[in-house]
Amino acid sequence: MLVNAMMLPLVVLSVLLAVTPTIAVWPVPRQYSTGTTPLRLSPSFSIKLSGIDHAPRDLVDAVARTSSYLRKDKLQALVPDRGASSAKVIRGAKSLSSLTVSLTTKGKVRSISEEAIEDVESRVEGYTLTIPADGSAASLRANSTLGLFRGLTTFGQLWYDWDGTTYTLEAPFDIVDSPAYPYRGLMLDTARNYFPVADIKRTLDAMSWVKINTLHWHVVDSQSFPLVVPGFTELSKNGAYSASQVYTPGDVKEIVQYAAARGIDVMAEIDTPGHTSIIAKSHPEHIACFEASPWTQFANEPPAGQLRLASEATTNFTTSLLKAAASMFPSTLFSTGGDELNANCYDKDAATQADLASQKKTLEQALDTFTQVTHSGLREVGKRAVVWEEMVIEHDVTLANDTIALVWISSEHVAAVAQKGHKLIHAASDFFYLDCGGGGWVGQNVLGNSWCDPFKTWQKSYSFNPTANLTEEQSKLVLGGQHLLWTEQSGPANLDPVVWPRAASSAELFWSGPGGDVGEALPRLHDLSFRFVQRGVNAIPLQPTWCALHPGMCDLHA
Amino acid sequence: MRAVFLICIAIAPCSVLGLWPIPRNLQTGTTLVKLASTFNIKVDIDNPPQDLLDAVSQANTYIQTDKLQRLVVGRGANDSAALGQAPTLPGLTLSLLTSDAPESANCYRSCTAYWDPQRRILSHSPKRWNVCHSDCKFHSRVVQRLDDLRIALAPISIVNDIPAFPYRGFMLDTARNFFPVADIKRTLDAMSWVKINMFHWHVVDSQSFPLDIPAFPEIASKGAYSSSEIYSAADVQDIVSYAGARGIDVLVEIDTPGHTAVIASSHPEHIACSQASPWTDFANEPPAGQLRLASAATTNFTAQLISSIAKTLPSSLFSTGGDELNTNCYAEDAQTQADLAKSGRTLEQALNVFTQATHKSLTDLGKTPVVWEEMVLEHTVTLPKDTVVMVWISSQHASSVAAKNFRIVHAPSDYFYLDCGAGEWLGNNPSGNSWCDPFKTWQKSYTFDPLASLTTAQRSLVLGGQQLLWTEQSSPENVDSIVWPRAASSAEVISLIFWTGATLPDGTARNVASALPRLHDLRYRMVRRGVRAIALQPHFCVLRPGVCDLRS
Repeated sequence: MLVNAMMLPLVVLSVLLAVTPTIAVWPVPRQYSTGTTPLRLSPSFSIKLSGIDHAPRDLVDAVARTSSYLRKDKLQALVPDRGASSAKVIRGAKSLSSLTVSLTTKGKVRSISEEAIEDVESRVEGYTLTIPADGSAASLRANSTLGLFRGLTTFGQLWYDWDGTTYTLEAPFDIVDSPAYPYRGLMLDTARNYFPVADIKRTLDAMSWVKINTLHWHVVDSQSFPLVVPGFTELSKNGAYSASQVYTPGDVKEIVQYAAARGIDVMAEIDTPGHTSIIAKSHPEHIACFEASPWTQFANEPPAGQLRLASEATTNFTTSLLKAAASMFPSTLFSTGGDELNANCYDKDAATQADLASQKKTLEQALDTFTQVTHSGLREVGKRAVVWEEMVIEHDVTLANDTIALVWISSEHVAAVAQKGHKLIHAASDFFYLDCGGGGWVGQNVLGNSWCDPFKTWQKSYSFNPTANLTEEQSKLVLGGQHLLWTEQSGPANLDPVVWPRAASSAELFWSGPGGDVGEALPRLHDLSFRFVQRGVNAIPLQPTWCALHPGMCDLHA
Repeated sequence: MRAVFLICIAIAPCSVLGLWPIPRNLQTGTTLVKLASTFNIKVDIDNPPQDLLDAVSQANTYIQTDKLQRLVVGRGANDSAALGQAPTLPGLTLSLLTSDAPESANCYRSCTAYWDPQRRILSHSPKRWNVCHSDCKFHSRVVQRLDDLRIALAPISIVNDIPAFPYRGFMLDTARNFFPVADIKRTLDAMSWVKINMFHWHVVDSQSFPLDIPAFPEIASKGAYSSSEIYSAADVQDIVSYAGARGIDVLVEIDTPGHTAVIASSHPEHIACSQASPWTDFANEPPAGQLRLASAATTNFTAQLISSIAKTLPSSLFSTGGDELNTNCYAEDAQTQADLAKSGRTLEQALNVFTQATHKSLTDLGKTPVVWEEMVLEHTVTLPKDTVVMVWISSQHASSVAAKNFRIVHAPSDYFYLDCGAGEWLGNNPSGNSWCDPFKTWQKSYTFDPLASLTTAQRSLVLGGQQLLWTEQSSPENVDSIVWPRAASSAEVISLIFWTGATLPDGTARNVASALPRLHDLRYRMVRRGVRAIALQPHFCVLRPGVCDLRS
């Protein structure tokens, strides 16, 4: 605590009022100090850009959004009387009339959007935020507009409302913050069930509030192909659920821009060679074991169908498709998937067997060729490939050194991926799969439950150790991690409650670093959930309201 | 312009009907029928009650605004030509089978509908659509059925569609987290669409007391989460009448003597072990606190409290709870020990006195008490013979309750608890999961057998059942997505005909495979009507019944 003698009377008063002891910022800043002085926002409070030449439009917009949240959040403090007993103190508090926002570096000012889509390992997201207790101007400084955006996000989470006054009881604040890991993501599957653009945008807003910086967009899969790819429009025309359930190039541009303006890079995925059954609706020649039955022998999920990876025509088709799709997204990252390859599908496919025989290749060799060709196509359009873990640890495939692996099957596989020397993203089903525990979705399976039971609580994700079983050298391979939503049983109807606030758990883990204590975190996470609801995101309550208002009293051993 | 409704065509087999719960008797044909642009529901009843007219109006609105496309590949696009030539249905006539209105809930009479191709009108056999009616608010259930008809194949005949069990409920806890009236009304609408007829309202609990009770306003003013999170007397009447007009009776519960910690905010003298720590020694959930059942003052207070709210409610049922009594709470409460010593009673004897007093306040009002199973199975308490007992701890306990000859409502946590499987909500327990893991899928609930392990003689004790939402981790933000469409599962199970075997109208056994397409249909319709029911499968699977079965 930063306390000076002049503030002492107020300090004593605040302690008597049992002020919430912890900063209500999520993810928690890596260095911060708070005080115990009440401070309120002046009715004329404003955020001022200082010394920023030609301030980028997205920074100006971010300032406007922050001001809007400050006015409209109207979140009352999570204490039993919601702030009533502090009313007098709040009325008598000094008022803050401005926040000054400035860059600490000179030179050409880049937009948030430009900085957000830079290579994941070279983004600059740190910031310094100082809010004095005496009402003099607060200051936000950073080396990048992206850092300023993160700082604005923090500033917007510090305040409560009582009777129309926006206040804190914890001034002064001194925050020096930057992320522990460069990749903090959320994956959304829009193929099993479709999500309108508005739902994706709302999700991007929520992601930005917890400083998540990557949307991993699993946009297509075997069930549907909603992405309208220039040059390959027949795929969505025949493979989308309906003409209105597609993402046009215009939609994609809108999403990508909306994301970037909020510090989020969009890493799209076209999963190959598996998870592609739906391509047969327009290109039956490229798909093996299309809707083969029983599906359990040909795929992990219905419908079965995989790209004929041994076919040169299919390989060329796939490469062109990936290049065309990747060109829709400005990110340097693009995922080619590569999970759950079903060998039996190819064993039973006459065309593939003929191709293998004529080329004298094994299936694994053909997969290697297929992958190298598709990945080299991506490199030609300036992309770095991302793959699911099987491509690294189950197959003999030559991958570029900079290929990033997503570890999903089990957190136990992290070390094996690291041993291969690839950078990796934590996406383990045993910690980060948001769909687990929601019951079986496969029909005619009365007693079935989700394959990855039980439900992954926020506490479980929060207690994940990103460098478990890794050497110090291998630990440097960890880019970060993400929660994931596979949407067999999700749609716009339950997107928010399934994702929030749980996905905020990994957002803090990979921003603030591991080792957080769930007991300390819960009151802040309540605060975040309540703020989300105020902002129109249907985050669920993690506990009865009584518990949220009485921190610690609903702990297991309270 | 009135929407055109496609029913079906013979070449595209539509064994799937969007009826949920499925009628007891159902015959359908293969003729495509569309509603006339002037389609009208005519009420051929003298002095029809306003709520019936409202229900007709609501049915008309749904017909116009649902705009649900068939769940087939193409969503019905291929049917356009056939649709152009299809006969139109000009109207539907409602009439009462008898003017003698039966009393009580035994008003289920024969309901018949028949498509008359000559007259192009739905008729009963031989000529009319018969409406079962009584004064007991259940007429709207008839209209609910009308609303389903448009997705059937003509000719259709639904004869004698009556529920197997009279109690088909849904329980909502509004104490752990608060639900505004609008959320409750939306839930009541959805309940009515699946013919659920009881809203079990677990309105208060240890965490908060959002119910404004006449004569005891201090309890809510001190015990609600905030002054805006209270159900006023007017709110309660609004909810009760909204429910009644939708064929739903509201069973309110004031859980006693446990689950009452929050009463200490206004009446500390009545609560033992208030917020005692560690809570695990004193309650199943924080905060601890139970009514001082051995105190005469507390007993009178409780009886008056219950009487004060019960008399404002039209239902003949009222629940006094009675679950999860913690004896250690009383063992450590000096006042309770003194009261027991003075009266020379054991705790069980005191509980018996307490319960008889609170139940007398109900029976004096002509109400029937409802209790949780512990009051029958774990305590030696004298209960009125007609007391209704809710079996919640385990489905295995139903036969023990039946052995005591009490009527049963099935509410077992191992089948019907909607909150299970969503993770631990207690703090500081990183590896914890819900106490009743795993998640109860709709399939699991659907396979529940209400008559399992009961003797033939005991079967008449089963009133029905319900799914339940305890709201430790629920709120307006996720109520729809947790409840729907799962709670429709019990609504159908309880409606089916178990005394003749668990069979569907076509004679096949009740099974999740034939239920799933109908449940998808219901879910999509709910979404059209603004209830955020979740997807049970990828949309791909929904359009291709059976393709995503485990062994297809």
